[in-house]
Amino acid sequence: MGETQKKTKILSIENLVIKFKLRGQVLTAIRDISLDLYKGESLAIVGESGSGKSVLVKSIMGLLDKNGYIDQGKILYNDNDLAHFSTEKDWLKIRGKEIAMVTQDPMTSLNPLKTIGKQIEEAVVLHQGLTGKDAYEKVLQLLRDVGIHDVEKRYKQYPHEFSGGMRQRIVIAIAIACNPKVLICDEPTTALDVTIQAQILQLLKNLQEKYLLTTIYITHDLGVVAKVADRIAVMYAGDIIEYGKTDEIFFNAKHPYTWALISSLPQLGVKGQELYSIKGTPPNLFKEIQGDAFAPRNPYALKIDFVERPPYFKLSETHFAKTWLLHPNAPTVEPPETLKKFFEEGREYANG
Amino acid sequence: MLGYVGKRLLQSVVTLLVIITIVFLLLRLLPEEGYLGAAADKMSPEQQEIYLTNLGLRDPILVQLGNFYTDLIRGDLGKSITYRTDVPVVDIIADKIMYSLSFGLAAVALSILIGVPLGILMAQMKGRWLDRLGTGYIVFIVAVPSMVYFLLIQVYITDIFKLPLLFDSDKPISWLLPLISLALGPIASYAMWMRRYMVDELNKDYIKLARAKGVKERTLMFSHVMRNAFIPLAQYLPATILFTITGSIYIESLYSIPGMGGLLVDAIQRQDNAVVQGLVLIFSSLGIIGLFLGDIAMALVDPRIKLGRGGSVR
Repeated sequence: MGETQKKTKILSIENLVIKFKLRGQVLTAIRDISLDLYKGESLAIVGESGSGKSVLVKSIMGLLDKNGYIDQGKILYNDNDLAHFSTEKDWLKIRGKEIAMVTQDPMTSLNPLKTIGKQIEEAVVLHQGLTGKDAYEKVLQLLRDVGIHDVEKRYKQYPHEFSGGMRQRIVIAIAIACNPKVLICDEPTTALDVTIQAQILQLLKNLQEKYLLTTIYITHDLGVVAKVADRIAVMYAGDIIEYGKTDEIFFNAKHPYTWALISSLPQLGVKGQELYSIKGTPPNLFKEIQGDAFAPRNPYALKIDFVERPPYFKLSETHFAKTWLLHPNAPTVEPPETLKKFFEEGREYANG
Repeated sequence: MLGYVGKRLLQSVVTLLVIITIVFLLLRLLPEEGYLGAAADKMSPEQQEIYLTNLGLRDPILVQLGNFYTDLIRGDLGKSITYRTDVPVVDIIADKIMYSLSFGLAAVALSILIGVPLGILMAQMKGRWLDRLGTGYIVFIVAVPSMVYFLLIQVYITDIFKLPLLFDSDKPISWLLPLISLALGPIASYAMWMRRYMVDELNKDYIKLARAKGVKERTLMFSHVMRNAFIPLAQYLPATILFTITGSIYIESLYSIPGMGGLLVDAIQRQDNAVVQGLVLIFSSLGIIGLFLGDIAMALVDPRIKLGRGGSVR
């Protein structure tokens, strides 16, 4: 997205809190998150397993598991507050029609007993109002769009006759068939091997341009993020702890968790040394979290980190981070040497 | 598809031939008195010898086997010896089969009509009162010996609703209780399997994707979940239907229904080798035909079954 382009909000999450009832206990999966999504951009939400990425996007589509519920906050989309949707009728106005999803595992995401043609057609009929021959033609066109050859023959085939990468293309075709405005890609390449990953990401990028989509990528793979995202939101323990444009996060991250995450990239490893990993485990979400959730694992943690939750500190118009280290009174803390070098190289590279 | 059917058919025929031969050979091991019947005591050893020779039992075993197959092809299973002396076995079985078959088919229809929807409802209302009620019913049927509730039904329900205690082919109302008793078990198993497979399917990823693309919950149930859940059942359906012919020993003796249920027991007790042989033949053929049809049904509904070369791989 160019800097000059006028930004219009398409989706706006305000102070969202999502909780789950689990064996008589209450787990807080999303802790007071606010996030705006702008038209046409592609936003990546990154974080480790259990950080709440998937829960967040599931709540946008009303696909939370039965024991999960929105406790507070708003999800505003076209003047509708999705947080207050409760009936199936409400959600059917959103699912597919406005917001579609590419799911994680293409091997299991297709109905094994329906031809892939029929499965795409289902979405075409539901959302584009086409039937019969028109719908069939549309499906063939979609198949071509996602890079499938010999479409008439492929239309009649079943999922088990496709490879993993091909199936992911079909899943993408289904999402596109809904003609959505927002496309959520929940770990779209996790189940694929590396050579196929690049192809699928390129495909998603092309489709985003062709169909003028706004996309949200959920991933824990920073390599994916670097290839596709305009903006990044870093999640930890149900909170967005830092967000900004891709180069701002990659080359000027301020939150120690983001540092740790980038340091974990195997590319930053030094030959002969062990790869970096974040010590400790994420906090128990059944308990109320005091202060900064990352503090116990954070080598740079200040005393206040254990007491009070940090607010967002503004670094630029687009870059915000939630860490007390940015407070004017905080001691100056530099990122680790390898990371500093990486940041500098990156900035130089970005500036030409 | 045709190649697959042909291959399975050939396998079935071979299996059937092997079974028939084994049954034939096993029966040759039984004491020969069985062939003499009630007349045994009145015959001298020489007379017995002549009688057995006339029956062909002194021929070499391969000749006997050949004769047996030739008769079989002509639809002749021999004559009953002690059960109903000199009546062709085929006629004896034909008389009985109609009762067992009509009861059996009606019970299967009833149990599918009630059991499958019950299972579907239970899956949809998983964890709620209907599911618990249904589970309670299933546990009861599985845990309590069927004889107990068969008897309770016969004794108390006939009393409460003034229904006839025994079966009478002229009184349609007397069909009701045996039919219901016969269906109770299969209803429980259909409900149990249907619920189980539905819950399995509902947890699969493709359901999530279908929801995400905006498919209505009801459409999802009918066009995605139910069909997929029904596949495992399809394989067993033909066999279940075929085995209703064999009747239920309990129910038929409780209500004095002149069906197949007790025939095998009777024939064995009276050492009527011809009838036993005929019955075992029918039972084993039914089993094999059931498996064959099950495989065909499965291949018809499940596209993942590769047909022809390479055999069936899921």
